[in-house]
Amino acid sequence: MKRKLISGILVGAMTLSLFAATAMADENEVYMFINQPEYADAITELIDAYAEVAPDVTINYETTQNDYPTLLKAKLNSGEVPDIFASTSGKEIDVYREYSLDLSDQPLAETILPSVASAMASTEEGGGLYGIAIKGNYFGLVYNKGIFDELGLEVPQTVDELTAACEAISEAGYKPFTTGYAEWWVFKHIFQHYLAAAADGAGTTVAELVQQFEKGEARIADLPEIYNNFFDLIDLSLQYGDDKPLETDLSGELAAYGGGTAAMVLGQGAWIEADSLAIDPELQVGFSGYPVTDDPAQCQIISGSDQALHIAKDSEAQQAALDFVNWWYTSDYGMAWFTDVAGVVPPVASDAESEFEVIKQGSALEEEKGSAPLGVCYSTDSWWQKFGELMQDYIAGTADKDATCAAIEENWAAIDGAK
Amino acid sequence: MSKRKKKEMFDTLLYTLPAILLVTVMMYIPFVMSGYYSLTRWNGIAKEAVFIGLENFKTVLSSGGEFTGALVFTIRYTFFFVLFSNVIALFLAVCLTKKFKLANLMRGVFFIPYIMSMTIVGFIWKFIFTQGFARLSAMTGWGVWDLSWLGNPRLAFYAVTMVGVWQSLGFYIVLYIAGLQAVPKDVLEASTVDGANGRQTFFRITLPLLGPSITTCLFMSLTNGLKVFDIILALTKGGPGSSTYSVTLQIYKEAFQNNNYGLGSAESIVYFVIVLVLTQVVLKISSSREVAL
Repeated sequence: MKRKLISGILVGAMTLSLFAATAMADENEVYMFINQPEYADAITELIDAYAEVAPDVTINYETTQNDYPTLLKAKLNSGEVPDIFASTSGKEIDVYREYSLDLSDQPLAETILPSVASAMASTEEGGGLYGIAIKGNYFGLVYNKGIFDELGLEVPQTVDELTAACEAISEAGYKPFTTGYAEWWVFKHIFQHYLAAAADGAGTTVAELVQQFEKGEARIADLPEIYNNFFDLIDLSLQYGDDKPLETDLSGELAAYGGGTAAMVLGQGAWIEADSLAIDPELQVGFSGYPVTDDPAQCQIISGSDQALHIAKDSEAQQAALDFVNWWYTSDYGMAWFTDVAGVVPPVASDAESEFEVIKQGSALEEEKGSAPLGVCYSTDSWWQKFGELMQDYIAGTADKDATCAAIEENWAAIDGAK
Repeated sequence: MSKRKKKEMFDTLLYTLPAILLVTVMMYIPFVMSGYYSLTRWNGIAKEAVFIGLENFKTVLSSGGEFTGALVFTIRYTFFFVLFSNVIALFLAVCLTKKFKLANLMRGVFFIPYIMSMTIVGFIWKFIFTQGFARLSAMTGWGVWDLSWLGNPRLAFYAVTMVGVWQSLGFYIVLYIAGLQAVPKDVLEASTVDGANGRQTFFRITLPLLGPSITTCLFMSLTNGLKVFDIILALTKGGPGSSTYSVTLQIYKEAFQNNNYGLGSAESIVYFVIVLVLTQVVLKISSSREVAL
């Protein structure tokens, strides 16, 4: 009898535990579920600092890199919408707009940089500020200044200079390029520089050019900056690059660059500096735009933010979450946090000096020559991933240039154009 | 008697209740739900899914696109996976049932890859293919190490298949060893007395009596081959290009990366039917050829 009772209780307990409810919502408890775990320590520090300002507010910070979008979707669908959540900026702002709050009338709208804010607007609405960024970012050509100085070379600003530089570097026994062609996102970072030049050449803006691609109206063969210069760069990087290009990923690039064997790194930006310096603290990091045309003025870096933090629209803790991000973006501590604690490109207007070379040179170049628009954020990562695969096919030799261009035109319209 | 039967019935129900509930919540309800979503256009995020009837199935079946490519890859992979994992495992099992000093140790060595998670195996091999092979090339100068095993679409297929077979060998070896040990000694002795040589004994006596093991192993390797996912994700992520997309990876990509949850659900249902038919046919064929002693 006793045994039966125990087993009955156990079975009941096991069954019940399946349906155990999660914690109740509370207006002073902010649930922050974001990706980018590389900033976990810095964000924990930020939250600790905020605890002194607002002691009765608890911020539950959770982060993951692996498969963040899938986890977020699962949470959204189960009704457990995080008070602060992340996505990429630009086109994906509209995907999550149903869940996110327009921050245009918040104090933080005053301090956020226009280049960051423009990536947080809804394209469907033609406005709004649906997110903030943990960091601004710089995209461009990261190079080894030591190698260039040793050979007495200037960093190339035009297509011809690039070819000449490659020959000289190669002759001196260095590897001109390291490329991370095993990663799909490397291609979009390179491509956006050529897309900006192509939009210039066609007398339009990147946003409009992307729309033409989505409608299936744009032809790559009409855009020499892409059809010639972009593909020439890829060919050149294969000729003067890694032995196994499709096997080299970000860590392979870091090893070649940090190890001092490669002169130029393709498809990367501000984020690789710290890891490269960890390999060789003496490395002289240089940063420049891509030599996209014959005009040195078009050799621009790209700045902006490719990720966004959303504030949930219908949440109990909305006010607490808003107070937190406003404090983050407007208080002295919060604004200094970007450079002093996180060591990133500040997404706010601030005078703080960064100790990172890419950021210093990037902001100097931006002041001097301006920056090109952040082309990656006008399209979804679904498309960019396909783009990466198509370029990998080109590199593997399974598709030639014209077939690749045709596939790009077709898939861009099919993936991003349909809805 | 009938009272006792009732009690047994009640106990059975009671004790399986947690499991039934779990399976229902985790498997059957999601299955039915994806059946519904396959009839809708939904990105997995929006609050409302739009009902579009059989549109998704038309897209899946008509286009000679990504799904078909992934299906061809998966069938090729499964064929080689089933073939090699069974033949090699059977061969090794026969070797390992021979009496020699390190037999037990060797069994352990072959089994170790199986207890490691697929993802870890994938990363280990990724390291071997990239860094390890570069080192081996420097040491030996052989051209085979210089090939881009993960970067060349043709080679990537063989690399993935090889790692898949390598990882799961241990499991099939154990099944075959169990089967080999169950072959009656007296029959084997009788064949020796009748003058059969080693090869004849193996092909005429041992192999036919291994029927049930072969059926089990074929079935398991077939379903595991068709379900291949994590090893590809860790090794190539479907690349280079889209040359190593398996159907499961393709479904995942469609549903979660391309934000086409409806289309992904439709693909998974089509694939479910294909797998169901395929496994039933193979199971029927192989079990009908078993011999009883």
